[in-house]
Amino acid sequence: MTGSTNTPYRPAGTLSISTALQPYQGPWNKRLAAHLLRRAGFGGSPEEIDRVAATSMNAAVDALVHYPKDTGLPGQPSEMDPQYAQEVALAFQARSRAVDDATVQMQRMQIQQSRQKANLSTIGWWLDRMINSPAPLQEKMTLLWHGHFTSAMFQKGITPKEMVDQNWLFRSNALGNVREITHAVSRDPAMLKYLDNARSNKDHPNENYARELMELFTLGIGNYTENDIRESARAFTGYSVYGPLRGGAFYFNPKIHDDGNKAFLNARGPLDGDQVVDCIFRQPAASRWFAQKFLNFFVYNEPEPQLIDAVAEQIKKNDFQIAPVMSMLLRSNVFYSDRAYRALVKSPVEFVIGTQKLFGLKEVTPQAIGALNRMGQVPFHPPSVKGWDGGATWLNSQTVLARENFLNFTVTYAAQQMKSATMSASAWMPMTPSLSTKDTTLKLVDAILQGDAAPASMAKLQAYLEGDDSSALGQLSGENFEERMRGAAYLSMAMPAYQLN
Amino acid sequence: MKRNRFLLGAVSGLTVAVNADSFFAKALAAPALPGLPGGADDRILVLVNMQGGNDGLNTVVPYGMQQYYRYRPSIGVTPHDVLSLNAQVGLNPEMKSLKAMYDAGSVAIVQGVGYPKPDHSHFRSTEIWQTAEPDHIESTGWLGRYLDSANLPASNLFNAVAIAQVLPEALIARKVDVPAIPALQGYGLASDKAAGQRMAFSSLVSDGRAPFQSPYLATVAEIEDHAQRGSEELPKLIAGYKTDASYPATPIGRSLALAAQIIGSKTQTRVIYVQHGSFDTHAAQKGTQDRLLRELSDGLKAFYDDLAQHGNDKRTLTMTFSEFGRRVAENASRGTDHGEAGPMMLVGGGVKGGLYGEHPSLDDLDNGDIKFTVDFRSVYSTVVEKWFARPSQGIIAGSFPTMPLLA
Repeated sequence: MTGSTNTPYRPAGTLSISTALQPYQGPWNKRLAAHLLRRAGFGGSPEEIDRVAATSMNAAVDALVHYPKDTGLPGQPSEMDPQYAQEVALAFQARSRAVDDATVQMQRMQIQQSRQKANLSTIGWWLDRMINSPAPLQEKMTLLWHGHFTSAMFQKGITPKEMVDQNWLFRSNALGNVREITHAVSRDPAMLKYLDNARSNKDHPNENYARELMELFTLGIGNYTENDIRESARAFTGYSVYGPLRGGAFYFNPKIHDDGNKAFLNARGPLDGDQVVDCIFRQPAASRWFAQKFLNFFVYNEPEPQLIDAVAEQIKKNDFQIAPVMSMLLRSNVFYSDRAYRALVKSPVEFVIGTQKLFGLKEVTPQAIGALNRMGQVPFHPPSVKGWDGGATWLNSQTVLARENFLNFTVTYAAQQMKSATMSASAWMPMTPSLSTKDTTLKLVDAILQGDAAPASMAKLQAYLEGDDSSALGQLSGENFEERMRGAAYLSMAMPAYQLN
Repeated sequence: MKRNRFLLGAVSGLTVAVNADSFFAKALAAPALPGLPGGADDRILVLVNMQGGNDGLNTVVPYGMQQYYRYRPSIGVTPHDVLSLNAQVGLNPEMKSLKAMYDAGSVAIVQGVGYPKPDHSHFRSTEIWQTAEPDHIESTGWLGRYLDSANLPASNLFNAVAIAQVLPEALIARKVDVPAIPALQGYGLASDKAAGQRMAFSSLVSDGRAPFQSPYLATVAEIEDHAQRGSEELPKLIAGYKTDASYPATPIGRSLALAAQIIGSKTQTRVIYVQHGSFDTHAAQKGTQDRLLRELSDGLKAFYDDLAQHGNDKRTLTMTFSEFGRRVAENASRGTDHGEAGPMMLVGGGVKGGLYGEHPSLDDLDNGDIKFTVDFRSVYSTVVEKWFARPSQGIIAGSFPTMPLLA
C-alpha cells in the first residue's frame, strides 16, 4: 500500500530563502496555469486553463489581482428576507401577549420556512458568484476572510442580511488593508453578536470578542496576557448593535463604555476598541500572523519560519496593504515550486466549485449544498470561531465518501444538462467514438488532472474504457459508449490527485 | 498544523494489506475475545466531550456555599431546585436521569478537575485535555497512545471510532488509524454502477502513485481505501442489532445509540468518542446549558438501558470532560466567560459511585476562577491503569496518583 513505518514524508523541493519570493522565470505551461487558477480562484474549465496557459504568468497574475470592479453579478441573494429579524422580533412580542398556541405554532413554522429559504438562497448566491465571477481572486479572498474573521448565520440571532453585509465588507476589502478590515470587523453587527460584544458593558465586560480578536484574528497565543484580554474587553464595552426593531446597525453607546484608564500591551490611557486595534497592529506578531495565514492558504502548510518572516517583512513594508503582497506571492518562485504543487488538500468549497467549473455547470444545486454539508464546509456556517481547520482535517471516512458521491452525482447531472445543451463539457469530454481508447484516456486525464496520473492509473482507466467480455462490464460499444465515458470521467476524478489543490 | 504533520505520519505508518477483507470474515467467526470474559481486553471506554467549556458550577452546584449566590444573582440554581448529593453540592435539576443512576451507585463525580497554569483558550485548552500535555505541543492524543500500546489487530478498521465530523486529537495515534463517522447515514458510496466500474474505482482511489510529490497524496489514498472498505463492512458488522431503549431524539441521543450498536457488535472496538455541545455559554446561559445537560443525562440513561439489555453495561465505562469550567461571576449577558476547573463524570462499568475530590473553594479564587483540586491526568491514569490494565507510563507523561473511582 502507501508508505511504510520507516519512511516519513519528505516535502519535495528545498527552500532557498534568498530567491523564494523572487519572480518565477521558468517555463509557463498548462499545469502551472491550472495551479494558479486553483489557488487564486476556484479552478477553471479546460478552455479557461488553455487560455491562461497561452498568456504569460505575469499577464495571468495581473488579470487576477487587478480584477474588474463591476462583475455584473447579483449583489444580493434573491430570497434573502431583509425583514426577517423584525418578523422574528415581532413574533416574539406577539407570543408574550397571550395569543393562542395555534397562532404561535403557525408563526414558528412560517419563520422556520422563511429561514430555510433565505439560508439556501444566501449560500447559493455566494457559491454562484464563486463559479461565475470574472474576479475569482476577490471571491477567494472573501472566503479566506470569512474563515478568518468568522461569524455564523442564525447563531446568536444573526440574520442572513447581516451575514451578507459582512460578506460585502470582506469582498469590498478583499485585497485591501487588513488593519482597516479589522477596524471594520470590530463594528460589524454580525461579528459583535457572534462574539457577544453587542451587550458588553462596563459593569460586566464580555471577553469573547476581545479574546478571539488577539488569539485567532491578529496575534496568536503567546503574544498577550490574560490581563490584556480583560483590558481589551473593557475598551470594547459600548461597541453595540441596535435591536432588530430599530434597524440593527452598529452604534457606540458611551453610557455603557468604560472610559477609564487601561494598560493594554504597551499602550496606556483611556483606550477604546479602535485604539486597541491600532496597538495590536503595532506588534511584530501581527504581520507574522497574516504571513502564515496567507502561506497556509495559498502556498503550502507548515511554511518554514524564514519564509513566514520574509512574507511578514513584505506585509509590514506595505503597511498591511494586501494587494501588493498577494501580487508578489502569486508570482514567486516558492508559489510555483514542486513543494507547493498540489501540496494542499482541496477544501470542500474548492472541490465543489472546481468540479462545477470543470463541467461548465454555472449554478449550484441544492444537492451540491447538501454535499458541502457532508464534506464539512458550508459557507456562512463555520463550525466554530476558529473557522475551518483545513489540511488533513478535511479528510476522514465520511467526508471522502461525500466527495466521491458528489462526483458521481455531478457526472450524471452534467450528462442531463448536456442533453439540454445548457453546459459546454462536450467541448472536452471526448464524446466521439473515433478516438482510440488510449487517446480518450489521455484527453480525459489531461482535462481533469492536467496529466497528473501515474502510468499504472492510466492503464487501469484505459482497461476500464475498453471493458471485457469476461466481467460484468462488457466490451466498449456504440451502445454503452456514453455511459462508459461518464464512468471514465468519474474514475479520473476519483484519483487521489483530484483531492489536492 | 502539527496535527497535519502528525496525521501524515500516522497514516503512512499504517500497513493494511490490499483486499484485507479476510479480517472481517475472521472477526465474524472469531470465538471469545482473548482474555477473561469481562477482563481488561474486553473493556470499552466511551469518552464524551462536553465541547465549548461546560459551566461546572451550574452542573454540580455548590448550593451550600453562600458565595455562589453572590457571584450568580441571576443564573444561580436555587437550593430548592438542586438535586442534592450532600449538604454542600447537588446536580443541576435537568439531570434527573443521571441522578437516578447516581443513586443506584453507577456514577462517580470528580470535582474540581483541572491542571496547573490553566489556559483560557478553547483551542489550546482542548488540545491540553486531548493530548494530556499542558506544557508542550504534543502530536499524539492520550487515547491514541493507549491504542498504540494495546497491540490491537492492525487489520481492524474499527479499533476506535470517533462519532464526530473531524477526528479529535485524543485519538490521533502513530499506528492506529481511527475513522471519524458522524452518523451511519451518508457513510457509504452512492455509486451503484456496474461491478466493473466499482472494481476500477477501488483500485484507482487507493493508488497513491502520481507524477508529483505531495504531503497529502498517501493520506488521501489511505483514507479513501479505509472509507470504502469500512463503509461496506460496518453496516454488515452491526446489522441485526435491536434495542428497546428509548433514546431522546437529539444529536447526543443518536450518537450514543450508534455507540451502543457498535459495542454490541463484532467490531472489537475499544474506544468510542462522542461529541456534545456547544457549552460556550457567554450569553443567556441557562436555556442552553439546561437543555444540553438534560440531553446528556437522558441520553446516558437510554445508553445504559440499551447496554444492559445486551449485557454490555459492565464492560462499558463512559467518561465526560470539557476543556474548562467557567468564570465564577456571571457576566452582564446572563452568561459566563471562560474559566478553569470543572467536574468530570464517570458512568457505568466498574464505577464505584460517589463524589470524589474536593469542591474548589469560592473564597480563594485565581483571578475570578476556581482553583483545581484534582489534576485531570490522575483521572486519565486511573482509566489507563485500572480500566485498561496498562501501565500509564508512556501514555500519560509524568506520574499522577490513581483514584479509587473504579471497583
